[in-house]
Amino acid sequence: MSLVELRDVVKRYGQNTVLNGVSLSVEKGEIIAIIGRSGSGKSTMLRCINGLEPIQGGTVAFDGTIVNDRATDLRKLRQHVGIVFQSFNLFPHLSVEKNITLAPKVVKGVPQAEARRLAESVLQKVGLAEKIDAYPDQLSGGQQQRVAIARSLAMQPQLMLFDEITSALDPELVGEVLKVLEEMARDGMTMMLVTHEIGFARRVADRVVFMHEGRIWEHGAAAETLGKPRTPELETFLNAVLH
Amino acid sequence: MIREFTFTDVLYLIAAMRWTLALTAIAFLGGGIVGLTVALLRVSTFAPLRWLGALYVHAVQGTPLLAWLFVFFFGLSIVGIEVSPWIAAAAAYSIYAGAFLGEIWRGCLQAIPRTQWEAGASLGLGFAAQLRYIIVPQATRLAIPPTVGFLVQLIKNTSLAAVIGFIELTREGQLTTATTFRPFSVYITVAVLYFLLCFPLTQWSRRLERSLHVAR
Repeated sequence: MSLVELRDVVKRYGQNTVLNGVSLSVEKGEIIAIIGRSGSGKSTMLRCINGLEPIQGGTVAFDGTIVNDRATDLRKLRQHVGIVFQSFNLFPHLSVEKNITLAPKVVKGVPQAEARRLAESVLQKVGLAEKIDAYPDQLSGGQQQRVAIARSLAMQPQLMLFDEITSALDPELVGEVLKVLEEMARDGMTMMLVTHEIGFARRVADRVVFMHEGRIWEHGAAAETLGKPRTPELETFLNAVLH
Repeated sequence: MIREFTFTDVLYLIAAMRWTLALTAIAFLGGGIVGLTVALLRVSTFAPLRWLGALYVHAVQGTPLLAWLFVFFFGLSIVGIEVSPWIAAAAAYSIYAGAFLGEIWRGCLQAIPRTQWEAGASLGLGFAAQLRYIIVPQATRLAIPPTVGFLVQLIKNTSLAAVIGFIELTREGQLTTATTFRPFSVYITVAVLYFLLCFPLTQWSRRLERSLHVAR
């Protein structure tokens, strides 16, 4: 059984159809890069997987649980699916430690001392151990995004979703965030990332999904799909982002 | 009999301030409880609860406080329920302050970006935990200045309770004027006393506004 299974997913905002029959399965340990023009439905697809967006048709399943079933406890599901956003969304009133330990303490009942050790260990992974007592506004964008990744990791998710996490960063800060992703990839984390970093996608992703007009227009092994696009839309897109 | 406006009268006016303060305290406490409920209804994810909150706010903001005082004091006694002025005032002021505080606090809760709720939800926190740990702590900082501003309005609006028999600051002023026939001196004194209550609060609020701007 696939870890993530989307079947004919339809998502509409009023009259506007954002996802128009999307099907995709993701196996444990896979790294999927999702590319496409803005408005093609990439972020929406990602947000359907942890139930942030309700869908109007089809099914989304995670580890056998139907996400869009009303009876599904989304809180439980989200403990296993981490998401990192373009705009970091750290809690500005909490220190880095509290940002990371809030959910483990409140949701899982992890005691304070253990939670602090957990924060230390995930911060180590993103290379920010010394920032444990800092506040978000004292950190650079790249550091904030790495804390956001650490915050998600602290819940020990089985799947990580990344929604254009380098798009809001100054160019010189993109590298430090991508490096963290590469390390997570080496650790075997299952990841789905919406990205404009085509070079990164080619290097790290197993598969690339190209979205266009609310559909998966083309998808396949990363190097092949990016190297030899089969559709003119993907070719146009790649030309536009690579030049 | 007409007598002089003396220092003793000033002391009486000062003494009457205790009712002004007591009414303000009751109104703020009752209004705070009602207001918190209303604010939470207004940000609920369940639409009928939001409508209920909106209905309440529009109904109360669209009717005069004086009318509520009359309803609870005179209205209930006509249908055979005797209500003490304290109960009537507590009820009327809680309803009134609750609507306004509810709107102020709703605004503050909604001023926190949706993405903060989303970040909490994505970590597995439920609605109540998102409110408690993420939204309310941030909204509280925003809420302090306008809440103090409303408190100042409330202090002045307690004078309306005179119509149901409270001898608070303004009513005491009227009574003093009736016996001394010195409306100018008396009401200037009343105004100064209100100012002494309200001015420190507005100053404090402005200071908070400034300090919370930079502080986390």
